[in-house]
Amino acid sequence: MIELGNAKLRSAADLEHMQEELRARHTPSAKCVRVCTGPGCAAKGSPRLYELFCEAVERTGADVEIEAKSVGCHGLCECGPIVLIQPGNIFYQKVEEPDVAEIFRETILGNRVVEKLLYVNPATGQKAVTPEEITFYKVQKRIALAGNGLIEPTNIGDYIAEGGYIALAKVLSSMTPEEVISEVEAAGLRGRGGGGFPTARKWRSCRDADGSPKYVICNGDEGDPGAFMDRAIMEGNPHAVIEGMIIGAYAIGSEQGYIYVRNEYPLSVERLKLAIEQARELGLLGENILGSSFSFDIRINRGGGAFVCGESTALMASLEGRPGEPRAKYIHTVESGLHGRPTNLNNVETWANVPAIVNHGGEWFSSIGTEKSKGTKVFCLVGKVRNTGLVEVPMGITLRQIVEEIGGGIAAGKRFKAVQTGGPSGGCIPAEHLDARVDFDELTKLGSMMGSGGMIVMDEDTCMVKVAKYFTNFLQKESCGKCTPCREGLAQMFYILDRITDGEGQVGDVERLEGLAELLEGTALCALGKTAANPVISTIRYFRDEYDAHIKDKRCPAKECRGLFRYEIDPEACKACGICLKNCPVDAITGDKKVPHVINQEKCTLCGMCWEKCPFTAVLKV
Amino acid sequence: MYALWDVLGKMPFHRSVEGMRKGKPVPTVTIDGCKVEVEKGETILDAAKKAGVWIPTLCYHPAVSSDASCRLCMVELDRGEWRQLVTACNYPVRRDIVVYVSSEGAQQARRGVMELLLARAPDSQELKALAERMGVKETRYPKVTESQRNCILCGLCVQVCEEIIGQAAIGYTGRGVDRTVAAPFRQPSEDCIGCGACAAVCPVGTIKVRIHKDQQEVEISPFKSRAKLLVCEECGSPIISVQVIEQALGKVEVNSEEFRELVRLCPKCRRSQTAARLEATKFCKKE
Repeated sequence: MIELGNAKLRSAADLEHMQEELRARHTPSAKCVRVCTGPGCAAKGSPRLYELFCEAVERTGADVEIEAKSVGCHGLCECGPIVLIQPGNIFYQKVEEPDVAEIFRETILGNRVVEKLLYVNPATGQKAVTPEEITFYKVQKRIALAGNGLIEPTNIGDYIAEGGYIALAKVLSSMTPEEVISEVEAAGLRGRGGGGFPTARKWRSCRDADGSPKYVICNGDEGDPGAFMDRAIMEGNPHAVIEGMIIGAYAIGSEQGYIYVRNEYPLSVERLKLAIEQARELGLLGENILGSSFSFDIRINRGGGAFVCGESTALMASLEGRPGEPRAKYIHTVESGLHGRPTNLNNVETWANVPAIVNHGGEWFSSIGTEKSKGTKVFCLVGKVRNTGLVEVPMGITLRQIVEEIGGGIAAGKRFKAVQTGGPSGGCIPAEHLDARVDFDELTKLGSMMGSGGMIVMDEDTCMVKVAKYFTNFLQKESCGKCTPCREGLAQMFYILDRITDGEGQVGDVERLEGLAELLEGTALCALGKTAANPVISTIRYFRDEYDAHIKDKRCPAKECRGLFRYEIDPEACKACGICLKNCPVDAITGDKKVPHVINQEKCTLCGMCWEKCPFTAVLKV
Repeated sequence: MYALWDVLGKMPFHRSVEGMRKGKPVPTVTIDGCKVEVEKGETILDAAKKAGVWIPTLCYHPAVSSDASCRLCMVELDRGEWRQLVTACNYPVRRDIVVYVSSEGAQQARRGVMELLLARAPDSQELKALAERMGVKETRYPKVTESQRNCILCGLCVQVCEEIIGQAAIGYTGRGVDRTVAAPFRQPSEDCIGCGACAAVCPVGTIKVRIHKDQQEVEISPFKSRAKLLVCEECGSPIISVQVIEQALGKVEVNSEEFRELVRLCPKCRRSQTAARLEATKFCKKE
């Protein structure tokens, strides 16, 4: 832990001086163990590993300078817990408690690599020592996640030593608010929360709007199933978000900021709270920041777990203490938002990009990405891929690269079927469009959207009707119920989808779904309702044959919908072991020693027990 | 000549021209080809009323702020290359706009919403009548949501109770399809004064005022809240909730004694008493 003086920083020079001092404390031969305590690794026991490393550091003599750090998410959650050792940037995966002593003895004291903990490329069998050698990391480009896994999120000194708050110092000492907005405009930054609205344009309208005080809000109400991008940033590098917000507030002319975090992220709240306190102590938040005339402070508000509160107007209603329901947006929130005042709301990832843009310039940022989508985007790659985890890729990369190179392809030798992007309101993109580029407009054209960055990969065993039903159910439960189309329309859509997957679909159901989807898109009050039909529409568009198979043939091609397929025993593969017979709860299986078993279809309740238990995969779904 | 210009320059007429030029032109709304001028900030619905064009509404009431939750008043707004569906009841007119009310797209949207509402509240005669006026004969959808019988969740009752009566005795519970209008914990509310404003604004006749003569109480159904009734000193028939009188005394400037005297009797008895008094006076005058 780096000790900091209590003195407040009174100027940009003070901050630079502090940064130099912090850097000078490190001798080049110093060793450092970075243990990932992001959500994935923490679930696998990494906090205990960190403690063990700390104990080991304490036990060693003072002649070697060693530091143990608990850092944010590294990304490759599949291989957690992850431990990185400096110097050498040695990447150890799937580290367990007994490995700590060995790593300490061999790598830290002995400068030798522990072979068994290295990442092995499944395709080539080659071992990788550093993250740069791993394809998962090679294709990525990290801006918003740059500090993740590098700095200790609980220590502001670590962030400053790595160049943190230098962007803020630059802005306050040498840039006018208009110059800051122009820089962000040159960068071409678009909102990372889903809509992709140009950030600079939003800032400028809020700056030009009449009324004071003005507010800035950071939207950390991440609620998409399978998404944890914002969480990783808030937990792994909270100061980047705070620095971005201070810069934004300076550009807009705001003195009060709010971070709205969902209550299910207690660690995010804790880390942000600590970060805000530390920033306040150093005079980076509060009155006269860095000796300038600009004052700004941030408060944290915790959400109550409603998905719809991620919608800007619902979030503001919730901040005001009212039920989290959206309102009509004919008057923009930049003119009349929180408490009826001009309010600028941006997503966690958008804010985290701002310091990098100021430091490296808008031109640098806009050199990355496509014509209309600049920079990088963080995705949560989950589902049926080999390497699940947190990835940050330059815009314009193809979906194929993400799924096949970063994700390592589909697990267990199955075939790729679709990738669902954009959270519950996104759409499913099939194999024939895998070469599409990751870009706000291109994904929208394909009937999906960028969304906040969830990316769920599905293989041939996934029933697309069931996927549509799952997301429709999620959304109908999360709809606030204020407007008719969203409340009633989603319930009607779910009712139809439910009967299709039950084998009771009627001819014309697909058209009914399409009609409801169109109605929802046109008439719903907020973005949640307007986009809620995307999963249904995109699956009808690309997987119409699966809907027809369910409705007309009463058959589920992916064999996932219960009742729309049956179990049969392959007489050639059956070894007549009797396991299925013993496990069948309704005695539907008959057979004898050396006689292939048979399932009595009339008795079978389709529980799938025989299929699960058969050691020879002789039970088939047909 | 000189004097004339001098005088003209000071005339109010001149100032008003100046004001027009400086810039608050009156926005024009073209509704289905018919042009009307409205004040800045008035809604498309206001404009439609001026133009004599009917737009069906449910959750709109001039007494309360518009929430645009029922989505029945959808109209199409001309955006140049495309048309955007907007709610007429709360879309503020800020510049010249072109609106289509009876276009195919707008009608289809409104009918779609109406069908969903009919599926939710199939027994409401008021809703059926409105649907018929819109050309919707029946709904294609079954009744799938069961949260509250025949309530379309327009929210007028909640708004009127909070904004006009100032009691906020009812609110929403649950979310999504489970959303219902109810008093806290679904118990009879202590804040309900039994005024019946919620029943008066309910567009589908779901909220009802029931008089329990024996207990001398008024009940607001379906919220189960009850309030004591003031009864006529003459005939014993119920007049008004006691708490409403107290509320009214707080709001209206009246001689409270005189007011109390007024509500001693039911309107019927008061009329007959007054008539009797007048009769007596007439009789006296004749003599």
